[in-house]
Amino acid sequence: MTGGWAAKELTEKGLRTLVLEAGRPTVPEQDYVEHVPVWEMKFRGLGDRRRQSAEQPIQSTCYACDEWSAKFFVSDKENPYTTAAGKPFRWIRGRQVGGRSITWGRQSYRWSDLDFEGNLRDGIAIDWPIRYADLAPWYDYVEDFIGISGEALGLPQLPDSKFLPPMQLNCGETFVRDELAKHFGGERVLTIGRAAILTQDHRGRAACHYCGPCERGCITRSYFSSVNATLPAAEKTGRMTLRPYSVVHSVSFDAKTRRATGVRVIDSRTRATVEFRAKAVFLCASALESVRILFNSATPEFSNGLANSSGELGHNLMDHVKAGGADAIIPGNEDRIDVGRRPNGVYMPRFRNVKTKHPDFLRGYGFQGGGYRPGWERGIAQTGFGPDFKKSLRRPGPWRFSFYGFGECLPNHNNFAELDKEAVDAWGVPTLKIHCSWSANELALRKDMAIAAAEMLAAVGARSIEPFATDEPPGFAIHEMGTARMGRDPKTSVLNSFNQAHDVKNLFITDGGAMVSSSCVNPSLTYMALTARACDYAVQQMKKGEL
Amino acid sequence: MERREVLRMLATGAVLQLAPHKMLVVMREARAFLANESAPRTLNAHQYATVKEMAEMILPATETPGASDVGAGEFIDLILTEWSDEGERTRFVAGLDDVDTRSKRLFGKDFVDCSTVQQAEILVALGEKMAEDTERLRNQAFANAESPDAGFYSMLRRLTLTAYYTSEAGATQELHFEIIPGDFKGCEPLPTVKETGKRP
Repeated sequence: MTGGWAAKELTEKGLRTLVLEAGRPTVPEQDYVEHVPVWEMKFRGLGDRRRQSAEQPIQSTCYACDEWSAKFFVSDKENPYTTAAGKPFRWIRGRQVGGRSITWGRQSYRWSDLDFEGNLRDGIAIDWPIRYADLAPWYDYVEDFIGISGEALGLPQLPDSKFLPPMQLNCGETFVRDELAKHFGGERVLTIGRAAILTQDHRGRAACHYCGPCERGCITRSYFSSVNATLPAAEKTGRMTLRPYSVVHSVSFDAKTRRATGVRVIDSRTRATVEFRAKAVFLCASALESVRILFNSATPEFSNGLANSSGELGHNLMDHVKAGGADAIIPGNEDRIDVGRRPNGVYMPRFRNVKTKHPDFLRGYGFQGGGYRPGWERGIAQTGFGPDFKKSLRRPGPWRFSFYGFGECLPNHNNFAELDKEAVDAWGVPTLKIHCSWSANELALRKDMAIAAAEMLAAVGARSIEPFATDEPPGFAIHEMGTARMGRDPKTSVLNSFNQAHDVKNLFITDGGAMVSSSCVNPSLTYMALTARACDYAVQQMKKGEL
Repeated sequence: MERREVLRMLATGAVLQLAPHKMLVVMREARAFLANESAPRTLNAHQYATVKEMAEMILPATETPGASDVGAGEFIDLILTEWSDEGERTRFVAGLDDVDTRSKRLFGKDFVDCSTVQQAEILVALGEKMAEDTERLRNQAFANAESPDAGFYSMLRRLTLTAYYTSEAGATQELHFEIIPGDFKGCEPLPTVKETGKRP
């Protein structure tokens, strides 16, 4: 995600840029499989279970990793990691050109000062060194290129983006939205997901044609990914060199000049070590992979990881708490159905700790979810058979609605990743040991998700309400962040407010590692805005001779 | 007489103008017509034939193709061979064999030799047991070992419906699935809409 943005920004601003990717290339015409029908899949969508258990036991637990898209997720066998006893962590990753921007959920939301001021207000961790006003022009900037579809709401806690027309809600969702407005007024607003999916042609990329499974690829480039948008822009400048099969082992550091001199790479095909020299290094490998590289870059002076004089590198790891919500049958619209496979759901912005303080927890959560009518699968648990049964499955089941929460995770120094020198990956690179568990605040948020969701479904007249609050470990939201946080004080932060390492002036980290708190909204849009801003700063600093 | 024809006639309840024992011979011949199918790897020939008849009972050919037409039996054997674990495979085969135990107890014949009406009675009983077991498991703190046919029938239904609705004929002719819908409309009237919009 952010690597593609750094490539685009740096090359467009005139810099020759080497983009290193650990995995293989991604060629849309060969690799995208979104139009392969289920009857052409050997296991008809059930997945190659035995191969999954052997090669991808962790990745295959991810909703987005199915029989088609498994190719875009790492081999767990080649990419092991360890966790602290009793503290499971699901590290879901991609390792190919485009990374997780191929399989991401496309949900895109801006932060507000409710988020940026959170730590200061609650007296937790450290203060963000920036505010919404610093990032707003960069949200504008990246959104203009990406194309975000959605509905403007004018809510202070969820600033509007520059939107393309919103996708339609379906009947069930319109019903729930309108009923909730009656019962909760403006406090609980249901809207269409704000998504990096085009509803009209935009900058040479075509509008979505609603085939459904974006995580399998998109030959029309209708959703944003590095492969679909930013890397082609970088390529067009003629200044990008993209080198796949390049496992970055470490950043090389010159103790005299106090500068990064380049990176050491293991060619994943030949196993040869190659060194590349550069004026500046941008780490955009994802929050955990970037700090892993810095741990492997330790020097006598930076014995606990390059750029880690603060001791915060790897610490303050956060992920969004999820898996709380409810599902129910909703009344009405029996003779209506949605047509086409919309790759987007609904969103309910955070309503907890917005106007009034909640007695049980800090911060809040947003809801994803949506309305749907069950299809033929509901026939499995039924007992019918024969012509009438077959005919009955031609009509869909009753409308149902589901709320699924994503909650903020408080930064905690004791949630961290460190190098596990005993465990190495398939290329001999030491891997990570992750220590991460939910605090009481996250668990309270998850519990409240279930209660609030059930309450809302009851208010709209739903029946057979099924609340849930599943004990899922961290990592599963796939929003891991915070491991190289920015801050004003080099003693308590790794980066400054421009994602520049305090200790190494020409080293930048612009992926989720830079985050100081987590908000409850999907983070990728914020990572992209921070990246564009950091690139702009870096280039200006270079022009001034400061870098 | 082709097997498929026989099954179709049985499904419509037509009475074959044949003496009972001759009817059995015709049915056995029809079942032996396996020219286009590869041999099963987990199920034996009799089990395979039983599974195929059960699948066809669940989702018969009507004005659109049925389970046999889309090779449901083949898919079930593939899953048992290359996908299921040891326990699931054992439970399925035991449950399948148990179907014959039931039909012999009730009608003195294997399932494949029963009349449509008799076969339907067995499926109804299997369904009732499945529903009871589901309810019982929901109400219990610990799940007892499932009796062979209850877990089996649930598995059979899952695999039969999956085989059918993810087949090209099932998805396109029965459900009018389109790979590229082109547009998304949130609230269309049901009768005029061809596709349910559900992703297979």
